[in-house]
Amino acid sequence: MNEFEWRRQLRELRQPAAPNRDLWPAIDAALDGAAQAVTPVQALPSRRRRHWLLGAGLAASLLVAGGLGWRLLQAPPGNANTPAMSNWKPADPRFAGAAIELDAARMELELAIRQAPDSAGLQRLLRRTEQQQAQLRHLADRAS
Amino acid sequence: MPPVPTAAHDSDDVRAAAAGDRHAFQRLYTLHVGRVYGALQRLAGYDHARAEDLTQEAFIRAWQKLPGFRHESAFGTWLYRLAVNVALMDIRARGADPVSVRDNELLPDPGETPFCAAERGELEQAIGQLPPRARAVLVLHDIEGWRHEDIGDELGMAVGTSKAQLHRARSLLRKALGERS
Repeated sequence: MNEFEWRRQLRELRQPAAPNRDLWPAIDAALDGAAQAVTPVQALPSRRRRHWLLGAGLAASLLVAGGLGWRLLQAPPGNANTPAMSNWKPADPRFAGAAIELDAARMELELAIRQAPDSAGLQRLLRRTEQQQAQLRHLADRAS
Repeated sequence: MPPVPTAAHDSDDVRAAAAGDRHAFQRLYTLHVGRVYGALQRLAGYDHARAEDLTQEAFIRAWQKLPGFRHESAFGTWLYRLAVNVALMDIRARGADPVSVRDNELLPDPGETPFCAAERGELEQAIGQLPPRARAVLVLHDIEGWRHEDIGDELGMAVGTSKAQLHRARSLLRKALGERS
């Protein structure tokens, strides 16, 4: 028997197989305690409602980010404390404002996505915000 | 990654299950359990009890993660990959048989070990006796058709280590089959 035939014999093992017993009852019972990652919505929001939610999410993000930015500008130098919602505090104060704004925008988008989990637009905005956060961290790391 | 055959019409059930429909998920289970159990059985070294536990775990995780399934691939492919990950995480959690130079030194030169014809049952038994990590690499590469790069990613090892594990597994397998014949 050559190597080619031997490998072919191995590949022939790649077949479906049935378990000795029905596993569904145990799986079904376990699902009671296994919550899904996202709470399913009872009905998909209408197109108009999704647009409204997208707009509301964006407006809320801008409002919060603007408010936080304004507060940051009003704070005396060296006292730019990062709000509790921020997960990352850059050592360099030049990046602090942008970090707060992006973090606030991300949180607002996450809240909006909870209301409309199927909104591709919100998901896209969240991904973009997270990318911007990663870029900011990269810039802050390089600057330090 | 080898594609997993799937019914073309399971997308409705996937969407319903993602929204919490247990009956739809049961239909998906019925459709895909054979493929999932087959792969997990091979990775578990034909230990049926372990393969059943892993299959249950895979379907529970699939249920939990379904709302995040983006339909970028076939559901069967997504499920197969998730199930293999469950088995590999189990192997990693056990910290099983990291390859070492000493192991390779103890192995016969592959050129000296003949290729032996074996019945399917003999082959399965010999695979079952391989060390778990070496078996995982052999099953994924030689049976499931994965690339070393993908195996390395999933098992948290370098490509070179994956190749060394494959070399080790093949040598052990041929040696085991040779001793039986």
